[in-house]
Order: sequence, then C-alpha cells, then structure tokens
Amino acid sequence: MARIALHPLGSQLATEQAQTNRDAVEPLERRLAERRAAVRSGWGEKYVERVHRKGKLTSNERIERIVDPGTETLAVGTLVNDEKTFGPENRTSPGAGVITVFGVVHGRWTMIIANDNTVASGSWWPRTPEKIQRAQEMALRLRLPVIYLVDSSGLFLPEQAHTFPGRTGAGAIFTMNSRLSAAGVPQIAGVFGDCIAGGGYMPIISDVVYMTEQAYMVIAGAALIKGGKSQQVTSLDIGGPDVHVHLSSCADHRVPDDETCVARLRDEVASLPSSAVGYYRRGAEPAPPRFASSDIAGIFPLDHRHLYDMRQVVARLVDDSLFREVLPHVGREMLCGVARVSGLWIGLIANNPELIDHPEHAGEKRPGGILYREGIAKISQFARTCGDDGIPLVWLQDISGFDIGAEAEKQGLLGYGSSLIYTNSTTSVPTLTVLLRKASGAGYYAMAGMPYEPVIQLATPITRLAVMEGRTLAIGAYRTRLDDSFNIVADSEEERERIERGMKAVEDQITADMDPHCAARQMDVDEVVTLGELRRWLCAFGEMAYQSIGYRTIRNPRIWSLHDLLLLADEPH
Amino acid sequence: MFRRLLIANRAEVAVRIARTCRSLGIETVGVYSEADAGASWLDAFDRAVCIGPGHAGRSYLAQEALLQAALQEECQALHPGWGFLAENALFATRVEQLGIAWVGPTPRAIRLMGDKALARETMAAVGLTVIPGSHGVLSSANEARRAADEIGYPVLLKAKAGGGGRGMRLGRDAAELAVAFEEASQEAASAFGDAGLYLEKFIAPGRHIEFQVLGDAYGAAIHLGERECSVQRRHQKLVEEAPSQAVDDATRERLGAQIAEAVAGLRYRGVGTMELLRAASGELFFMEMNTRLQVEHPVTEAITGIDLVEQQLRVAAGQPLALRQEDVRFTGHAVEARINAEDPERDFQPAPGRIEELSFPADRGPGHVRVDTHVTAPYDVPPFYDSLIAKVIASADTREDALDTLRDCLAGARVVGVPTTISAHLKVLDDSRFRSGDYDTGLIDAIGLATAVEE
Repeated sequence: MARIALHPLGSQLATEQAQTNRDAVEPLERRLAERRAAVRSGWGEKYVERVHRKGKLTSNERIERIVDPGTETLAVGTLVNDEKTFGPENRTSPGAGVITVFGVVHGRWTMIIANDNTVASGSWWPRTPEKIQRAQEMALRLRLPVIYLVDSSGLFLPEQAHTFPGRTGAGAIFTMNSRLSAAGVPQIAGVFGDCIAGGGYMPIISDVVYMTEQAYMVIAGAALIKGGKSQQVTSLDIGGPDVHVHLSSCADHRVPDDETCVARLRDEVASLPSSAVGYYRRGAEPAPPRFASSDIAGIFPLDHRHLYDMRQVVARLVDDSLFREVLPHVGREMLCGVARVSGLWIGLIANNPELIDHPEHAGEKRPGGILYREGIAKISQFARTCGDDGIPLVWLQDISGFDIGAEAEKQGLLGYGSSLIYTNSTTSVPTLTVLLRKASGAGYYAMAGMPYEPVIQLATPITRLAVMEGRTLAIGAYRTRLDDSFNIVADSEEERERIERGMKAVEDQITADMDPHCAARQMDVDEVVTLGELRRWLCAFGEMAYQSIGYRTIRNPRIWSLHDLLLLADEPH
Repeated sequence: MFRRLLIANRAEVAVRIARTCRSLGIETVGVYSEADAGASWLDAFDRAVCIGPGHAGRSYLAQEALLQAALQEECQALHPGWGFLAENALFATRVEQLGIAWVGPTPRAIRLMGDKALARETMAAVGLTVIPGSHGVLSSANEARRAADEIGYPVLLKAKAGGGGRGMRLGRDAAELAVAFEEASQEAASAFGDAGLYLEKFIAPGRHIEFQVLGDAYGAAIHLGERECSVQRRHQKLVEEAPSQAVDDATRERLGAQIAEAVAGLRYRGVGTMELLRAASGELFFMEMNTRLQVEHPVTEAITGIDLVEQQLRVAAGQPLALRQEDVRFTGHAVEARINAEDPERDFQPAPGRIEELSFPADRGPGHVRVDTHVTAPYDVPPFYDSLIAKVIASADTREDALDTLRDCLAGARVVGVPTTISAHLKVLDDSRFRSGDYDTGLIDAIGLATAVEE
C-alpha cells in the first residue's frame, strides 16, 4: 500500500556558533518587541482611562475576554502605519486604529476585527480599510467565522481623500462583508459604541448583531441633523438599541454592557459547527519538534552571504522533527516535502542555500538559494501535487533570485518560471509564505510572494525584501563606470571617490527599504514574527486550513497523487 | 491476530515475548547485534535478522535498522519489550506510520507519561494523590527555593525527562538545594538532552508499590493488583513480590478502581504500571507511570493467571478487553529475584564473562518455580547490555511458602563462570525484616549489602 513514511531530520546546533547567531538577531527581535508594545498601548493610558470611565472595556480587553482562556491570539497587521503621522496635527495611528487577530473561541479559530477605541475612538485612517479588508480576505480564504467588535466614529476626516474613493476605500469593507456572506462564512458583530457612517455599515451585513446600551449606529450623527442642536437630539436617540433592535430591525439583540456582549458573542461561536481538525489528524497527535523552535535564530549566520542548512530550520518547525523529502536527488537547490504540524499534513517548499553539485558540469559546485531550471520544475510539480491532494502549502523563502546569463535564457527559465507562477496563481490550497531571510526579485514572486496571494505572508526580523540586494542595484546603476569584475574605472582619485560615495548611497537606501518593518508598515507583509514564533504560526495555519469542511479538496492520504509522483521518481518509500 | 511480529529487543524479554507469540500462532522475527550473533536464544524465533554492531546505539536503538527489518520481513506488528526503545514516542510514531502495529500505548500516552512533570499534573487532574511538589517545571533555582519553602524540606529534585535516578538530587536545606539544582539540571541535560527539573517533598523511608494496569483502544481499563518493589539498590529493583504486605484488600480495591478509572480516562491502550510511594504514615502517592511491560510482570501473572504479553498483543490488534475487573482474582503469593551477572562484593559492578553452567532446581520447597532466562550454558554475557541473566519466580499459597521456595531454589542454584546477585538475594530472603513484611527501600542499606544509596 502506498504510504508516506516520514524520516527524522535535524541535529543539535554547535553551541558557540548558535549563540553568536542568536546574539546578532537579538537586537532586531528587541526592536520588534518594542514596536509591538508601542502599538498595543494605543494612544496611551489617558485614553484607556477615558474608555473605562464610560464603563466600557478597551478593544484589547474585549479580545482577551472573547478568546478561550489560556489561548494566545495571533495578530496580523500590527505594524501597519507604525511610526507614520497623519493630518495637520501629526497624529499617529497605532495599528491603523484597528486590531485584527486570529483567536480561538470555543475551540474554533476565528478572525476578530476590532476598532481600537484607544486610538481616536476607533477612527479609520489611511490603510485602516485595507487592513480590515485583508483580515476579511484571510477569513474568506480559510472560511473562518468573523467577529466584529465595532466601536468606530468613522473616517479620520482630515485624511478622507486617502480612505474614501478608491478601489480599496472604506466601501470595499462592505464588499468583503457581502462576499463573506455569499460564501456562507459566519459573521457575528458586537456594537459597543459609536458607529457612524461607514462604522454603521460594517456590522449590518453580519448574520447576528448585538448592541450594548451605549451603542448606536447611524448614517450621520446628531451633529449633522438640522435643528438637532436646539432639540438636544443625541446620536443614541436616533440610532441606539431602542431604534435598531425594536423598530428598524437593523440589529438583533440588546445587551446591558461589554461583558455581556462578549459572552453572547462567544455563545454564538459555540453554536457553529466545531473544527474538523481532529478528524483530519487521522489518528495522529500533535507532537512538538524534537529540536526546540526557539533555536531557529541560532541557525542563521550574521552575514547574509554565509551558508547554513535549511533542513535544520524545517526540523524545528514540524511535528517530531519528522519530514519526508520529495525528489531529493534533483534540483537540490530546493527542498520540498511533506510533514505534519499540529498533527496535520502540510507541504513545505524551501530554498537550500548550501553549495550544490552542478548537474551538467561534473565536479563543479554552484550556489543554492537561486532558482535553476531543475529546482523550478521540481517545486512546480510538487506545488501542483499538493494542490491536487489539498495539502496546505508553506513556502520558506531565502531566495536571491533566478539564475541569470546566456545558459539560463537558452534553457528558457522565463518559461519554467512562468509555469511556477501559473501554478501558484491558480492553486486552491491555502498557502502560507514566510520570508525567512532574502526575498529578492522574481524569486520572491515565483515562490508565492504577496502578489501571488498567499493567505498569509510573514516576515521575520532578518527578512530582506527587495527587487535585488543594494549592492547589486548599485552595480546596475553605475555599470558604465565599472569593468567586467565590477571594479570602478575612474580617471582620478576624486572621481573614484565620487562614484564610491554614489554607489554606497544607493546601497544604503535599498538596504533601508529592505527593512521588514517598512514592508509591514505598508502591508507588503502581513506580520513580522520572531523566528521562534514561526512554529506557532505553522500550527495555527494548519489548524485553520483544516477547520472547515466542504469548501476545498482534501484527499485522504491513501489516494494522494503524491504517491504517483514518488513512484515515477522511483522513491515509493 | 497478527501473522508475523518483530521483537525489537534481545535476550530474556525477547524470548519471553516469543513464547506467548508461539502459543497464539504468531510467527516471530527476532533481531540481534553482531555481539549476540550465534547466541542460542536466537533459536526461540522463527527467523532472526542481524541489525548492526554490538554497541546498542547502532543496533537495538537503531530505529532505521529495526524499521527496515520489520518492513523487509513483512511484519504486521512490533513488540519493543522493555528498555531500549520501549518508551520512545518517536519510534512508536515511526512504526505506526508504516502501518505496523505498535505493541504498546499510543505515542501521545508515551510522551505524556515520559514528561514526568506533566504526568504528575495529569494524574493530579484525574484525582490521584501526588507527592506535594512544584507545579510544572522549575524555571530557576530561586523558583525551586520558593517551592521548597512552601512544602518544607527535605525535597527531592527530579528530571522531567528522567528515570533511573539520573538528574535526581536531595535538598535538605536551602543551601544544599541551590547546589543540587545546578548539578541536577546539568546531569539531566547531559543524560536526557533536557535540563527541565521539578521538585517533590522527599519522603523517606518509603515503600515502592506499583499497580499493574491494562486498557484497550476503546477506553476500557482494569487493574491487576499491585507489586511491591522496595528491595532496591541504587533505584534498581532486586526483589519484587505480589501482593504487597502494605496493601490490604480494601485499599487494593479502592485504589485499584481509582487508578483504572484514571487510565480509562486517558484512553490508555496496552499494559502500564502506575508507580506509587507509600509513606510511613500509610499514605500512597502517585510517582510516575511506565508505559510498557515491566521486568517484574511475572509475579502478577503468577497470582492472576493472566498472560500479560497475550493481553498486550490482543489489545494492539484492536481487540476489546475480554477481561472485566470482576474476572481478575488474586490467588496466593509470588516473589521474583532478578539474577544479574554482577558482583555484590564490588558494589554490584556488572561482570560480563562466560557462563559455564547455569541451573535452578525447580523441585525444592512447597511452591512452584518459574525461570525466565535466555541463557543456555555455555554462554558469553556480552559487555554491551543489561547484565540480567535470569529471573526466578516462586509462587505458593502463602508468602512464607513462596519465600521458602525461592530461597531453596536459589540455594540450590549453580551458576559457574560469573559472579551473580544470588548471594545478595539469599541474604534478603533470610533477613527478618524482609520476612516480617515490614520493610522499605532502606532494606538493602540496613542489611549492609550496598554502599549508601546515592542521594
């Protein structure tokens, strides 16, 4: 019988080298922790107190109460807009004023979208609509119930030109509401306070809407009603639960306070179908890796040009550190295979940065971490096979780009690369892309980078995301002043120095742009996570991908097409 | 039932398993290292496969070689015996993913009980009394000190991945605890690759009492009574008996039912042993659970008439438990002596060599004698492995008669070529404290058989 046997992977790291590597990553991880803490504190204690004085909970407190005790949430978009300012008063918008997290409620993964009521009363800033839409898209792709904790005074008006009219303007949130609804994804809303204009629309399409006694939903607030001032009409009068629960039927239930509302939202989730994760584990139990995932930071050398063993990373991510490599003998610059996370099958595709034997020139080596013809063909076929079998895919990028030069063009790498891009663009399996370190140029694209719509794309503190490395770009920009070996050709010492300075400036600017915080700020990655947190994300991703039944192919392993691939490759065991 | 089974072990236990397999019509495939090549005990199997060099790491612990042997011989099941890989969750996982039935509990149960700190919490959660101690793994010496201050000295530090006394240290006061913490965590890290420690109140003197349990894949579980294993040197058992003189019928029934319920709650599949510590006060505390067949299982077989290996195989083949608790009857008394090729005069140092002669008279005394051994003289005891050469189990209607039978058998035993533990057994069997039934783990020290038990 066709069977996939997994094999042990990995070994203990050399202590001293690992410590040096960890020390190098430590300041980057500390910076990440600091930025996360800054976002978490919103506009600060004063605004937390203001919320509490109204007898309300902060948005973070609501989330803490809605998820199962002892479980941790996984946030996306934490660093959106981080360290940017808006409007004439140079306001910051921590987290773009909205908190989007995956959280476990009654054993089911959910997407929780909560306006941050400690940041300008939950206003929508530039990129707030995009951040909400991205969270909605993740929920749609994974069929996760969505919980909206609504408490928003509407657009931050000084910046309305950037948030209102475009393709991803605030209105697109309601498009996503509608699509989720049309796809049968449960949406549950709790309205806790101001809900003006756009904020008012957000909960309405949800299947169930709860309102607290402090909540109101209005197309326009009392301030815009003619004569409202003299009649002392409040927004609560015109759009509170008295109106919407009992007269307009725009909401379903009224509850006295935040605590009750959160409890009722939990009850709603409990009444949904439970997770199919246990079923798809097929008797396997989640098992931690034999090598601690906290050690991953010890693997990556300080200098990004130095080599390391990607198998050591994989060994620290998968259950029991057991892995079945597929087609290990061809395209060795790529590592692909299947393993379990949280007891669930996933496919992994990773770059192998080590030197590999040149397939055509016996005795020669060539660097890994580059897409060559065989490797592209291998991962395309593996990705298609996972697509056929419904095995969720995890891409681990540390890629410098495609092979270049006359030979590569003659081999038709443009064509092979396009085949891979086609595969990634049309696959129906959930995909998680991790930019472990380098994510350069077309390699970033071909390996399921953000434009190819992974469900989630993560960066790490050591991610370098760009078309090419700064040094390479500087060479391109100054090519007329360089010889064949890229040495500067100059008539005078002065000119040489000028060119050197110019190249250095280009390099520095590119290196600064490669900062993962920069990518996260503008939503080119969904979240920056530490290397030690990756295992948790993979487990959660697996559990989310297998939670809901009926919307995607999940073949049982007995009839996987992967068996056919292995048999044809003469690797049945 | 299975057609063919691989026994991933050697010597005495491998022969023991093969015996039951034969009675059930299961073909056996034995394995052996180069050091065991040509040994007469290999005749106990229908066929045998060489799996590597003498060093256990390259043979009896070589997962790849064992899996390869099982596949190549088309085995449907694998019995790990005890020791070696019997409590290795990864190996169990790898066996099962090949579609080969693992004769043992699920990898999850092995992992859960293998983490001694987690096992403690699990057992406390299902209502068993555990020794007062820390909650989970201690993060620092300071935390150890806080926990010790709370429960009171002396305390015993133990390795969460532990066993066999390694990574175990006594702390009689705060100063000693601080030193002990560093030592124990270093020892645990080097012995198990895991420095995690937890802490318990040190209870001494105590008696080591263990309950045999049996569960199936469907959530049914029973207990098969207790064994007493307080005769120990360096945390290793020398003499075991059943029933224990410190457990009366009412306690057995009450505690046994509680333990069986806990085991059923874990959906535990297979045989297992719940180890308890009995304080001088009479209180019984849960210590840990062994997720395998025990060396001393024959004493339970003797008083219950149940073949534990047969039960293991049936449960592993997906059969529901045919025995109900009320079917289990305890009759008479049994006592086992482990005969090791060791020199009691030299602090029980293993003494490998050639056994020229080995015989145990089975016709002495009033009771019945069972000898479990793989040795047929002449036999070379290889230096690589455990030094156990035989187990002698005597049973009779009364304890007195069982002890007499064992003593008479051992007194008449002839082992030529290597020193053995028999002389030590005879001293135990003649000791008045042991004879009275009122003894504890300090007995070997009291008799003066060993240097002080390491603390």
